[in-house]
Amino acid sequence: MADDVVVTGFGAHTAFGRGARPIREGVFAGVPAFAPTTRFDTTPYRTPMAAAAPGQPVLRDVLFDCANDAVSMAGLRSGDDAAVLLGTAGDWTRITGFWRTGEAGELADSVPAHLADALADRLGLCGVRLAFTNACVASSTAIIHGWRLISAGHVATAVCAGTYLVEEENFAKFDSGRAFSHDGAVRPFSGDRSGLLLGDGTAVVVLESAESAKRRGVRALARMTGWGVASDAYHIAKPHPRGRGVVAATRQALRRAGVTGVDYVNAHGTGTPINDSAETTGLRSVLGSSIAVSSTKSTTGHMLEGSGAVEFVISVLALTDGVIPPTAGFQLADPLCDLDYVTDGPREADLARVLTLNAAFGGMNTAILLERA
Amino acid sequence: MSTHVRAFASVETPVDRAAVPGFVESDFNPMVHDVASACLAGQDFDGDRLAVVLASLMGDATTTDLASTLLAAGQVHNPLLFMQATANSILGYVSREFDITGPLISLSSTDHELFAVADLVLTDPDLDAVLTISVELSPNPRTAQAYRMLGASPPERDVATAFLLERATEDM
Repeated sequence: MADDVVVTGFGAHTAFGRGARPIREGVFAGVPAFAPTTRFDTTPYRTPMAAAAPGQPVLRDVLFDCANDAVSMAGLRSGDDAAVLLGTAGDWTRITGFWRTGEAGELADSVPAHLADALADRLGLCGVRLAFTNACVASSTAIIHGWRLISAGHVATAVCAGTYLVEEENFAKFDSGRAFSHDGAVRPFSGDRSGLLLGDGTAVVVLESAESAKRRGVRALARMTGWGVASDAYHIAKPHPRGRGVVAATRQALRRAGVTGVDYVNAHGTGTPINDSAETTGLRSVLGSSIAVSSTKSTTGHMLEGSGAVEFVISVLALTDGVIPPTAGFQLADPLCDLDYVTDGPREADLARVLTLNAAFGGMNTAILLERA
Repeated sequence: MSTHVRAFASVETPVDRAAVPGFVESDFNPMVHDVASACLAGQDFDGDRLAVVLASLMGDATTTDLASTLLAAGQVHNPLLFMQATANSILGYVSREFDITGPLISLSSTDHELFAVADLVLTDPDLDAVLTISVELSPNPRTAQAYRMLGASPPERDVATAFLLERATEDM
């Protein structure tokens, strides 16, 4: 059997700020970060709301800061042999700048592969560099690929990341697709949910073989014991109504971990009418109707390519702190969403296993199972 | 582990090809559909034991830059561009057509990295085969500039290639 894969470091940026403390004070307290964004003129759009950190942060800088936090926590050094796997669509603001003003100075950052290279160069890490571009499962796919590389013995360590910052290109696209919430809040699983809102999300996690962590004397924060990847084969933009891919990915994750259940699920939970009922149906069929489930997108917003990595970090914190982050914004029961969504604020719990789910356009689904170290 | 090429397809523009319903403006998606279909049609495979790995350094720049120029001009976005904004969408279309429920992965990378990823994915005992797709569009002004900055050579024309790879018999 392959060596255990453990988590030895992380760094994160959300609308609440940089690091674990803002996540604890925002996400785990159930405080939504949504406000009218000032990054661009929102007059043409149906809503001005997003969960964006103040100012005009630069994607590359935010990513590098989070990576520095993660590798410092893990005790990695320049020259170490580690894979760098990044989920990103690139820096969209560079594309906007090119077509609006002809500005091309940092245009290379619009190419995802270049950002992965730049990140690896910045950290001085020697190993495979890859950019995963499959939208909202890009960073969970990067993390799963890190597990594959470590388990196959190709590398001992993988720095896995995902990044998205609120910007106008995707804001306009989601607006045109009428995907945004109507009331300025994200209300996953609530009967009055009306859509998603975008949010800043960048996270970097260090995965490592347990043997390597032990040899280096580094503390394991959690163990990544299972994962699953499956597609719905249903529709380019809508999830399968019975959660076909959610069911398959969750079953794979449980089987790989050799367990039959988990204590908490950090759901994809976008707050769109169709996602949340489909995800509920899938989860209920695998994990039963009493499983504790929450969607932290109710506070962070949808972080697109960054979602999987940020929610991985939130799941690690849930395990280490023994707290389930709540689903904020829940107002009204929906007969199609009948699980325990932790709507009354953060809940202390003795968590041994947490499952984090993500899904994306094209019917792609990922499930990652984390266990207490 | 060794792999066996079960099918291969390649297409370059200009070519006469049927549009893919729901996809507009860009050749990226019809080309992906063309080569994927050519590799999968008539093949006997188990959809939950097949992965798809797509690689494109620049992605669907036609869709990306059309949307961005509309934004720069202050025009309303076409919702269809939202629907096809990532390669996920055409992979989702192909997965529905051929009932593929295994992993769908997309990369911004070169062919060399694509095959290394496919090889690793195929070590999963839950999988029998992987469909690799590489696709690159000829440059537009933005990607031409990006290619120059990366020191890379752009393709002279739109090109897509697919291989259906399976584990060689001695490995099964």
